[in-house]
Amino acid sequence: MKRHLAYVGERALLVLISIVVLFPIAWMFLTAFKQPRDAYSLSLTFEPTLQNFVTVFSHPWNLGSMVLNSVIVATVTVAIAVPCATLAAYSFSRFRMRARKFLFFLILSTQFIPAVVIVLPFFLMFRQLDLLDTRIALIVVNLAIVTPFVIWMIKGFIDAIPTDSEEAAMIDGASRLRVIKDIVLPMAAPGIMTSSIFCFILTWNEFLFALILTRRDAVTLPVGLVNFRTERGDLWELMSAAGVMITVPIFIMALFIQKHFTRGMTAGAVK
Amino acid sequence: MAEVRLVDIEKKYGNFLAVPQLNLTIHDGEFLVLLGPSGCGKTTTMRMIAGLEDITSGDIMIENERINNKPPKDRDIAMVFQNYGLYPHMTVRQNIEYPLKLRGMNKADRKVRVKETAEKVELDALLDRRPSELSGGQRQRVALARSIVRTPSIFLMDEPLSNLDAKLRVTMRAELKHLHHELGVTTVYVTHDQMEAMTLATRVAVMRDGRIVQLDTPKKIYAEPADLFVAGFIGSPSMNLIDGAVSGGIFRAPGVEIPVQLADRDGVVLGIRPEQLEITDDASVPFGGKIYALELTGESTLVTFRNGPTSVCARGHADYEADINSPCYLMPKPDARLHLFDRASGERLDG
Repeated sequence: MKRHLAYVGERALLVLISIVVLFPIAWMFLTAFKQPRDAYSLSLTFEPTLQNFVTVFSHPWNLGSMVLNSVIVATVTVAIAVPCATLAAYSFSRFRMRARKFLFFLILSTQFIPAVVIVLPFFLMFRQLDLLDTRIALIVVNLAIVTPFVIWMIKGFIDAIPTDSEEAAMIDGASRLRVIKDIVLPMAAPGIMTSSIFCFILTWNEFLFALILTRRDAVTLPVGLVNFRTERGDLWELMSAAGVMITVPIFIMALFIQKHFTRGMTAGAVK
Repeated sequence: MAEVRLVDIEKKYGNFLAVPQLNLTIHDGEFLVLLGPSGCGKTTTMRMIAGLEDITSGDIMIENERINNKPPKDRDIAMVFQNYGLYPHMTVRQNIEYPLKLRGMNKADRKVRVKETAEKVELDALLDRRPSELSGGQRQRVALARSIVRTPSIFLMDEPLSNLDAKLRVTMRAELKHLHHELGVTTVYVTHDQMEAMTLATRVAVMRDGRIVQLDTPKKIYAEPADLFVAGFIGSPSMNLIDGAVSGGIFRAPGVEIPVQLADRDGVVLGIRPEQLEITDDASVPFGGKIYALELTGESTLVTFRNGPTSVCARGHADYEADINSPCYLMPKPDARLHLFDRASGERLDG
């Protein structure tokens, strides 16, 4: 009986937490399909419409260009950060070099600095270089934020790979880079995949730097949301429609992560 | 095929001297076993030959060419690892094929070579499986096939059988021996199992604390161990080592009294192999005590008696039966060899 009660209590708590966490998301999804006059009502019955999605993509909101900016910035960031981070992580994992631990700590320590502190120097730097309001500026900043994190993550995955297979490959006639390509990458693939997706999500959701460094041309989706706070008031139904646009790709990626997390590639390498 | 020479090899990890000043020549076509307890530097020595470990000082020569700074891939070696080191994301075929691919052999030739090699180690039916779908013995075969698929000039094997069960180990041992006979490639084999060393080796290098204590044929090492360490390490059951003293040309210890050719002194260890002792009823023989244990091994019975601190084991007839704690007398067989060592230094005192 006691155990049963504990079970019920546990479930009730889980449900409660789920409601708290999921409520804003559910609210957003519902509002995205509401007409402006229903936006403030709490009623669950309303006439759904796709008009909001049409509106946000047309003038003056032009969400399309923001989607493009976000996709380009996130994709290019991942495409540069992950290969570099993989090589760095491999070196940290496998080579005994002087001050290795200190260097690694240094890389991690970049994550301790609050973004607000460095946003102004970045702003001045990019103004000097005439790169304000460009995707390049955003990519550079995002690389600086994301790369240390990805190095740290991928190093964990590479550490877990036994070195035997690598040594075997070196004796079989492979150079160090060939070993990385033929042996390490396939074995670390699930980890690298996971890290890439995390990296993409971080960049995709990045707000502060995009807000300060862009004005018109390079505005990304999260910053674009701010536009829906107008002099006429907050346009919740449009903001929600844009919010859905931001959330869905990430949601799909999260599903991928789950799949990769549960799959190990190292089985059968040793013993 | 090649001769390998290690000249004054030294390996330090920080301040720890793992291998001090090692000199060793491995003859062309020889099967050399590095034997020793764990941590004795045998694996480090092999990894230095492979190029997986830098050497602190000294030279490694293969066929009179100094290869200290050559990366592993340019040393023309093949290695079998203790944990196999297979490529888990490749099929058995791809695993075996990989060394050939790296050396730029064309596809058709590769296919033929892989097939031949797989047949040699009886893997031909499993070529499309992945390592995770194989048993330990099969994985071992894949590792072996991968190392013999291109004929290297040197084979290195790092405890390749230690992860297999006892029965499979004996089978694979025979296969390795046959393979070496067939290919005739210079082989360096690391093990802590003296049985493997005895059965496989042309010569055995017994190592301890990074040093080679004795380097000789298995027969010689068995018959004439260089010191107390080797005497205790080689042979199963191991040699009886009895603490005692020599006075008036007689070695004495509790329950032991036997004439030896040695000047009077204390701190002597007498060694005699269990199979060179015979069980008798005659109480006047050199060894006597009370039976402590009887172990039937199948082909014989191991009889251990104790007398004070003295414990002596003899290999008796399989039918031998006696009660525990009953008196037991042992006599050296006519051809028995007595070994005498210094207790403190471990060195041999006779001949």
